[in-house]
Amino acid sequence: MTTDTNQQVAEPAEPEPDLSCDRRTARSSLIFGALMVVAGIVMIIDARRLPGDGSAMGPAAMPLAVGVLLALTGLWLALRSLRDLRAAVPGQPLREHAALRVAALAAVLVAFALLLPVVGYVLGSAALFVATALLLGGPHGWRLYAVGWSLAAIAFVVFDRLIGLTLPTGPWGF
Amino acid sequence: MEQITLLLEGFAAALTPMHLLWALIGVTIGTAVGVLPGIGPALTVALLLPITFRLEASSALILFAGIYYGGMYGGSTTSILLNTPGESASIIAAIEGNKMARAGRAASALATAAIGSFVAGTIGTVGLTFLAPAVAGFATSFGPPEYVALMAVAFTTVSALLGPNLLKGLASLLVGVTIGLVGIDSQTGQPRLVFGVESLLDGIDVVIVVVALFALGETFSRVMTGIGRSTVQPLRGRAVLSRNDLRRSWPAWLRGTVLGFPIGSLPAGGAEIPTFLSYTVEKRLSKHRHEFGKGAIEGVAGPEAANNAAAAGVLVPLLTIGLPTSATAAVILTAFQSYGLQPGPALFEESGPLVWTLIASLYVGNVMLLLLNLPLAKVWARLLTIPPYAIYAAVLMFAALGAYAAGGTATDLIVLCVLGLLGLLMREAGIPLAPAIVGLILGPIAEQQLRRALILSEGDPAILLSGPITIVLWVAAVLSLVVPVLLPMVRRRRSTLASTARTGD
Repeated sequence: MTTDTNQQVAEPAEPEPDLSCDRRTARSSLIFGALMVVAGIVMIIDARRLPGDGSAMGPAAMPLAVGVLLALTGLWLALRSLRDLRAAVPGQPLREHAALRVAALAAVLVAFALLLPVVGYVLGSAALFVATALLLGGPHGWRLYAVGWSLAAIAFVVFDRLIGLTLPTGPWGF
Repeated sequence: MEQITLLLEGFAAALTPMHLLWALIGVTIGTAVGVLPGIGPALTVALLLPITFRLEASSALILFAGIYYGGMYGGSTTSILLNTPGESASIIAAIEGNKMARAGRAASALATAAIGSFVAGTIGTVGLTFLAPAVAGFATSFGPPEYVALMAVAFTTVSALLGPNLLKGLASLLVGVTIGLVGIDSQTGQPRLVFGVESLLDGIDVVIVVVALFALGETFSRVMTGIGRSTVQPLRGRAVLSRNDLRRSWPAWLRGTVLGFPIGSLPAGGAEIPTFLSYTVEKRLSKHRHEFGKGAIEGVAGPEAANNAAAAGVLVPLLTIGLPTSATAAVILTAFQSYGLQPGPALFEESGPLVWTLIASLYVGNVMLLLLNLPLAKVWARLLTIPPYAIYAAVLMFAALGAYAAGGTATDLIVLCVLGLLGLLMREAGIPLAPAIVGLILGPIAEQQLRRALILSEGDPAILLSGPITIVLWVAAVLSLVVPVLLPMVRRRRSTLASTARTGD
């Protein structure tokens, strides 16, 4: 810890440009680069079907240019991450079931959207708060529910009653 | 001195009770979100966009400007007491500030940060008052080719300067531009990147993108890596400066301001570079050089002042040419657009009273922030004791509210989730988010200007390099791409030399 901070202090104005020696970072950059290549190709295909409009810069010009740049930059990033990956050191370990937790949070959000008109804003948001807090590792207990409920109720009063945004209400009117 | 009359009229409008109230709400929210880790001013303004559409333009813009300035003040509290900067330009203040706090001098660090922010913010706003009309006057001569070149400068500098790595900045920028292309092309009515999904025809709402990348990405990342435990340094006594601290602080404030405002007001702006520069300058000039790294007050005063002066500077290109150079500025540009206002030289002529009310409210906001931050430092410090899981859960709750208010269809929510996962991947890969937001907002404007330029020249691209201004700008754009590539090479050679020298003796 001390050596770490000392280093930081010695060269504060010049952060090391190459931060990607961590294996997780390198792997994520590789995936991101690959995604960019795919997206670039999709964009080029999508742009090619667009008709020209006779002007110098039709609807296809910008997507074509961005698509090519996207694919090239993605390729460059992927190749560099591949090189970094070889020299990479294992980074901070993830939590247990990290991917599962992320998937669960995404599912919670979708469930929130689908159930919002049914259960109303306050109940839906309170549930969203509690679920997120638990997924983040917050302690289970009545206080969590109380905080979630109060926050949702305050948000409802401020945005629905005071500001006049129409929030969905359940059968009980809040 | 036409500005002074206009500014006084602006003050007359800004000092009405309603506008004062909005400014107060803005700076309070701004300080709070600046203090709380995980939320920044960009996200906050984006979340409030769909909610404030009922307000009149001046109230909403005063609110947003307050959040923008407040975020800068609040960020320093977090970096000093917690050592995890709430927003990126505060990283430098964290180095010395947190050391001071650990040595029991948190109160002095907070005081020099707050007063320095006030001094720099006020001088920066004075700079804005006098520079903005001049720049706007100059910019009236700009045609589409100049705008295209300006956008090119903004694109290259934002991706090159706002991150640790040019390649990753560029990747982020391109992702933003790509998202901005989704939807019906405004000129030809052709759907682009829609893939037959009907609700994508209108494009993806800026609010959805900002919320997904910032709020969801951050929460996903925390869910995956866990919430690190951080120790909040206790704050003893009142935030006041001793005579000695003041003597050491004020030159640093002024030097920070001198560095921050001009760099911030370049179309290449951003607050990161001047804060780094200010730290280096203070370290070189200080008589207490041995204290650097152990909690030197100049190392807090200078960078914090530079940060706030740059924040004021960023408003110059934003208001006068419509060119945002930070994520928050980009979102504020969207706010202008949602009121049918287009920042640029015409804004000062067409909506003069609004602009001057806004600028006057910046002076007012700065005074409010000083009063809010000095005596109430302890209250803000208490915010840091809120457990992180509760903060992130609440952020997600408000993010969902903002996304609902912005569109609220099921497709929007799927887009939100997909972009949130993209934000997670970007965070994991160390790809900065700010260039994506700038690209998202400037991309469509750049396309429009490029088309106008080519229509003027009947398709001849040579028009892009006509005139001295465009040539200078294009050279700057190329330089900003080349310099970050060459500089590390030079630096690496120098450090190898240095290390050989060190092993030599």
